[in-house]
Amino acid sequence: MSNITHGGHVAIVGVGQTHHARRRTDVSQAGLVREAVDRALADANLSMEDIDSIVVASGPVLFAAVNQPEKWVVNAIGAQNKPVVRVTSGGGAGFAGALAGYYQVAGGFAERTLVVAYDKLSEGQLQYSISTLYDPFWGREFAVGIMGFSAAYWRARMDALGHTEEAAAMVAVKNRMNAIANPYAHMKKEVTVEEVLASKPLCWPIKLLDVPPISDGAAAIVLASEKVAAKSTTRPAWIQGIAYCCEADNAPERSLMLSEPLAIAARHVYRAAGITNPRRQFDVVEVQEPYSCFELNYYESLGLCPPGQAADLIASGATQLDGDIPVNPSGGCMGANPIGAVGIIRLIEAATQVMGRSESHQIKDAKLALVQSGGGWANLRGCAVLSA
Amino acid sequence: MGLSRVAIVASAQTELRTAWCDAQHIDLISAVVSSVFKGTGLTLDDVDFVIDSGSDVLDGRSISNCGFLGALGAHHKEEARVEEDGLWAAQYGVNKIRSGASSVGLIVAYSKPSESNVEAYWASQCEPFYQRPVGFGQRAANGIQAQRYLADHGTRQRDLADLVARRWADAAANGNVEIDALPDADAVLASGGGSAPLTGLMLARPVDGAVAVLLATEPIARRTSRAPVIVTGMGSAMNGHAFATRSKRGLVACEAAAAMALRNAGWDNAKPDIAEVSASSIVGEMMVIEALGLAPRGHGLDAASDGNISINRSGGALPADPIMATGLVRLAQAANQMGATANSVGGRLNRGLVHGAGGVAMQNNCVFTLEV
Repeated sequence: MSNITHGGHVAIVGVGQTHHARRRTDVSQAGLVREAVDRALADANLSMEDIDSIVVASGPVLFAAVNQPEKWVVNAIGAQNKPVVRVTSGGGAGFAGALAGYYQVAGGFAERTLVVAYDKLSEGQLQYSISTLYDPFWGREFAVGIMGFSAAYWRARMDALGHTEEAAAMVAVKNRMNAIANPYAHMKKEVTVEEVLASKPLCWPIKLLDVPPISDGAAAIVLASEKVAAKSTTRPAWIQGIAYCCEADNAPERSLMLSEPLAIAARHVYRAAGITNPRRQFDVVEVQEPYSCFELNYYESLGLCPPGQAADLIASGATQLDGDIPVNPSGGCMGANPIGAVGIIRLIEAATQVMGRSESHQIKDAKLALVQSGGGWANLRGCAVLSA
Repeated sequence: MGLSRVAIVASAQTELRTAWCDAQHIDLISAVVSSVFKGTGLTLDDVDFVIDSGSDVLDGRSISNCGFLGALGAHHKEEARVEEDGLWAAQYGVNKIRSGASSVGLIVAYSKPSESNVEAYWASQCEPFYQRPVGFGQRAANGIQAQRYLADHGTRQRDLADLVARRWADAAANGNVEIDALPDADAVLASGGGSAPLTGLMLARPVDGAVAVLLATEPIARRTSRAPVIVTGMGSAMNGHAFATRSKRGLVACEAAAAMALRNAGWDNAKPDIAEVSASSIVGEMMVIEALGLAPRGHGLDAASDGNISINRSGGALPADPIMATGLVRLAQAANQMGATANSVGGRLNRGLVHGAGGVAMQNNCVFTLEV
């Protein structure tokens, strides 16, 4: 990661996602994957013969109880006898998969790489699975999924910065509103700040409407080298920088205000992409917000506002559709949340913005987009810059 | 744009034991991460990224890499988890450096099957509708594969047992593998817990252990390593899932992976000086040797015995299979063997071939070509 600019240029030249749903009973994991792959290949004007290598990404295997599921879904992809590898990174799996695919192309291993990410969360016990993330000796006795952990992040902002429950509620309201126009979202209901605040507390200050749905869904992108990108599209989305970093510390040692791994990733990516003033330069931003409060954390970690001022930024309306730095015009996770696929979905939503063909809310003349994704226990965080 | 050449600077491996009872995952991982830099002049500060291989299922823990990031030396660095044998993690790392984005990368793979249910690890890889209900898994697949191979080629079980015994002796001598008592061919034939016609010791033995490999651009490697080994080609390929639909004639995905690696390396044929290959059974090893082009079909045993190409000097994967780390151990072993002779006048090992596998009956295959 010392210098990201040296790699050959890599572009997203085709995208496809399923119509996400709370529960898809009509397809297996393999069928779900196939839908996204077919759509991405058709969009890229390609067939599987044109694909050199495949990266599969999904959340923890316990989510859907198939170990190393790429070995099963390989036939549904049609990738037999090609390089296939699976990358996983909790909620950031899709993004981590895209990063691996990016380096397969940039490193000359492939001219075209298909990255497909999915989760079929209706088939497993989500919070139970996440609870096994905790250390078996000292953490699991009190592990209750990831929600309590996330609530601590929010509570810290309230205590240290004076941020309120309303600030995060505004994020939920904005993203839920934006999701209504997203043809792939399945949670489409307008809510008010008052309704969010009055919704059932799940782990205070997190309330029901601060939490995205749980979804079945898949998403795929085709990555191509500069040499072959033109065969698919006259207007690819170029990846100007991409990085995904981690922090090893347990929660008590971490900053709960800024995400350090995200700030580090942003520093590298911005340098590679020539970003010096993110608020002014980006036309649109897509972030993965597993809880509404995390979007506030990302505003600051990504430098969209100074540290401590995320509540002011959301209140100003700047991140609304008609603001100067729209965040999640797709509705983000609030519209659909097939966890392992979300990193790719955010990349797709940002890519289609700079390609000028967003299917939910096209931001006028969008040329430069920022994408954030992450997973683990809030300690794996990355971002990417896409350009027209 | 020219791509950077990538070299193996150094490697470190714990002893491979049936059970590391007094060490946790993080202990095994930190042991190799802290010792891999010895003699290189490089430190963790020089490392741009960490890529690790391990299994959530074997670890009994979701996103298990999250719990090991400190031990991996990954704090505030870019980290990736490849949930496949460590040779694929190395493939990712090589690509990252070749792209020019990074200069130094640390690849780590580890395994503690002693804490897990290995049969369940394999069975849960089978798709849930048709294969799992009939109890299909690694053991059954290995047995069927071996039956077919012995029927096709008339290989004698006794000859296979002789080779297994030799593999164990080599592992004890060269592989850093804990072995209490060396089995002879009779003991191999008499061992229980197999899958007919394979006896227990003809199957790969799961062991605990960790391995780390330090990769760098060639210029950095030349300054920091006495004998850098260059990765000149990589290939990988995955076979279809359903065992019944796979080719009867051999490991076609392994053939495809080898063809890709050789093509990338510009090799006309598979004539390395040494090879380190993975296998889930002794017959599987024969099939890999043949699929890699090291022997004609049905003649894997001859190639393994005649010594023209030194195959699995380390003992290979049968005496010690740290699942998820086995292929990366092969890479480390091959690089060590080549590095040890790199500056000698005679007997220099110029070319190496490395193979890793994943999945039931080696559904997935990865091949590296190495040169000094």
